[in-house]
Amino acid sequence: MPNIEVVFFASLRESLGTDKVTIELEAETSIEEIKQKVASLLDNPDPLFDEGIQASIDFNFARPASKVDPLTVKEVAFFPPVTGG
Amino acid sequence: MIKVQHQDFNVAALYENLCDNNQTGAVAMFVGRVRDFSEHKNSNLDTCFELEHYPGMTEHNLQQIVDEAHKRWDLHQVHVIHRVGELKIQDQIVFVGVSSSHRAEAFLACDFVMDYLKSRAAFWKKETQSGNSQWVSAKETDEKSLERWSK
Repeated sequence: MPNIEVVFFASLRESLGTDKVTIELEAETSIEEIKQKVASLLDNPDPLFDEGIQASIDFNFARPASKVDPLTVKEVAFFPPVTGG
Repeated sequence: MIKVQHQDFNVAALYENLCDNNQTGAVAMFVGRVRDFSEHKNSNLDTCFELEHYPGMTEHNLQQIVDEAHKRWDLHQVHVIHRVGELKIQDQIVFVGVSSSHRAEAFLACDFVMDYLKSRAAFWKKETQSGNSQWVSAKETDEKSLERWSK
């Protein structure tokens, strides 16, 4: 089964206590479903479900319903709202 | 030109780079700086910022924003430099420079790029004051500000 890297940034990385996990995906999976899968691998998954947590698929901002194709996607990320500039 | 870097930048040199052809009639530039965000004016000596980014995604986001600006307006060059790592009060954080034939496009594109950079580029700020660190929350007004660019 293809592996996908799931990486975390900023306050989310700190509150989860890890910067990435690797998951296996058999078929197309939505961001929302990936979040549940990731949560099952973490000791303290609650911060993943904080309001405003955003996601990206291979560097593009994604929505909860966006689909991840395990054959083409390498990396999914979860992070808090951005605060650059 | 898009750069995400630790080192500072020289605005005069960047301005020169934007004036590289005789069709350039206008250059608009914006510089974002670290201001003293503490409430106690005498406490700023031990105040600093840490800027985190998502290598690869941040550059990709900035390129998409610059590409969109080129689609919307007739521009010569758009340069974006954003610093990451540790920054202090009065440090420069971000530079956006736009050159075009006429001023209206340069002003609009510079404003547009900064607006999108605030809400659509993978950067996160953490403030540290007297040893206490806190991640900066996103402002709802930044997201709202994008509405004025919807076609």
